[in-house]
Amino acid sequence: MNKQNRPTKLRLPQKVASQPGKVKIHKLPTGVRGLDEILGGGIPEFSFNVIAGMPGCGKTTLAHQIVFANASQKKPALYFTVLGEPALKMLRHQQQFSFFDESKLGSAVRFINVADVLQEGDVNAVLAEIIKQVTAAKPGVVVVDSFRTIEHKTIGGAKDVEMQSFVQRLAQFLTSWQATTFLVGEYVQEEIRENPLFTIADGLIWLWQVAERNSVVRKLQAMKLRGQASVPGLHTIRIGEGGLQAFSRTLGLVGRKSRPSSFKRLSIGIPELDKMLGGGILEGDSLLVAGPSGTGKSALATQFIAEGIRKGEPGIMAIFEERPEGYLHRAGTFGLHLKKAEADGTLEALYLRPLDLSVDETMQAILDAIIRIGAKRLVIDSIVGFEMALAPGFRADFRESLYRMIGALTGAGITILSTVEVEDTFTSLQFSHYAISFLTDDIIRLRYVEIDGQLRKVMVVIKMRGGNHSKDIREYVITDKGIVVIHPRKTDYGALTTGIPQLIGQREEIAPEPKSTT
Amino acid sequence: MRHFAKLLIVYERNGTKSAKTRLQDPFSDCEKLRPPLSTLMGKGGFQALLLHAHELAGTEVPWLRTVKVKADGTLEGLEELRMQLDPDELFEGRVVLLSQMLGLLVAFVGEKLTVGLVQGVWPKAPLNDLGLVKGVNIE
Repeated sequence: MNKQNRPTKLRLPQKVASQPGKVKIHKLPTGVRGLDEILGGGIPEFSFNVIAGMPGCGKTTLAHQIVFANASQKKPALYFTVLGEPALKMLRHQQQFSFFDESKLGSAVRFINVADVLQEGDVNAVLAEIIKQVTAAKPGVVVVDSFRTIEHKTIGGAKDVEMQSFVQRLAQFLTSWQATTFLVGEYVQEEIRENPLFTIADGLIWLWQVAERNSVVRKLQAMKLRGQASVPGLHTIRIGEGGLQAFSRTLGLVGRKSRPSSFKRLSIGIPELDKMLGGGILEGDSLLVAGPSGTGKSALATQFIAEGIRKGEPGIMAIFEERPEGYLHRAGTFGLHLKKAEADGTLEALYLRPLDLSVDETMQAILDAIIRIGAKRLVIDSIVGFEMALAPGFRADFRESLYRMIGALTGAGITILSTVEVEDTFTSLQFSHYAISFLTDDIIRLRYVEIDGQLRKVMVVIKMRGGNHSKDIREYVITDKGIVVIHPRKTDYGALTTGIPQLIGQREEIAPEPKSTT
Repeated sequence: MRHFAKLLIVYERNGTKSAKTRLQDPFSDCEKLRPPLSTLMGKGGFQALLLHAHELAGTEVPWLRTVKVKADGTLEGLEELRMQLDPDELFEGRVVLLSQMLGLLVAFVGEKLTVGLVQGVWPKAPLNDLGLVKGVNIE
């Protein structure tokens, strides 16, 4: 075989030409805090979306926020108003929100009323007007509010087909002109299957407003969003002076790297209790302090935070049952000068008690504070107060939400001390009637016991992650230094956990706090 | 508001070169506001606003009552009046009607947005806020 007849070796080119890339879908910011994360990064560019819900749930405000967040002179936003809220009133109300930028009106944000066109003509005349305006302005964002009134014009019989054709042509035109579109309308969920609009739309954002007992709860759901993964489920929204704010069920913590497990032990600020815990709380643990009223749960929590500050670990106290001033003042009586720490920015006392909070927005407030000061320790005082501060409609989700937050925070290395009030029965030892002990790594139980004609306090470490701990039931007192665990008892008692112990053997010591003699 | 309206009218009048045009359309300022406001709030919305301004202005300048506001937001009956009234009376009516119109806009959407709307109509007018119009000679 001569050289020429030899099969030639197939030589691959040294550099393989790069594969044509997939189209990158840019995402528009919504201008709504928390919503971009729920939507999977924002609104897909050139998508055709519906913002639906009943009156009063924030649809128009959401549309305005999107408009003001994206409109520029080069790529303006056209806001077509149909029959509905008169434009002057809309401007009157929307300008109250901080996102409303007057300087954008008329140039970057243009309001166009097409109610006359609709009244005098039909949906085709509206489409022609939209085409005319869009062709002239080349907008980046187009809103039609309320689209429902356009649909009303054609409802019934053969007009359904006309409507479907109108929506189809509108979607095709606006997409071709590279506009991201939002049709705002009052719809009920029963319409989803019947109305072709929801089939054609790329995105469907549904807003709810539900009154439950004396509270109003607003929620949002990204029911559909073609081309990207949104966070499923219902998310709380609140309308404040900044417009809408959304609170993702994942609290913005999805995908965050967990901190590797730490074996560092943190002092609780009570040396004897540290010993009982096997050297302190493991960093990144969740510790539950359970006990009846007056047993010193808040004092213990305060000492935990104060010790952190002493060690250069900033702290957050989320307080639900009393005002921070009183709380910090009491800390002062223990010689813990938390007011200074607060002034120095190493402590933040959050007072969260507005009675219609959602779990997620409470947690967002805590997370914001943690980020603000770089907190390493968090106190939640108390879980019962936390639940009471929630709107009734949110209480059903309380345990689940708390679980998510505690899991996410401890994963990020924050050490949490929560308190919970439990009633002392004198027959058994409850940890919590909330059945939340699964949320915690460590549990300390405080309780009253009747000894020698006195109602004294004892504590015991019930559970401790990753290490041995003392099994002793130790007596403690609350002094001007806070909680002080007194020396191990020499006198033996039985049935201490019942609260009515029995003396076994001889009494070896005097009471830690002397009995009254007068 | 009256001062602001007056300054705007003077600015508008100075900008209208032809004396003939000035005579033909003595309420050109309201007419200039009509298209952008109709775009914003619809013909019906503009007509309702002008109707209210006209009603309020009529209490100050009675002859304005003989002018009618049509469904499309234009004014009717000015032709006849122009012959009967002297230019000062016409000017006064124009000032009062425009100030009432602007006053209603301010009441609804505030000073900032009203100035913004006016600037959309007279982009070169040196407007800062309702109390200040720079560089226009009223006399």
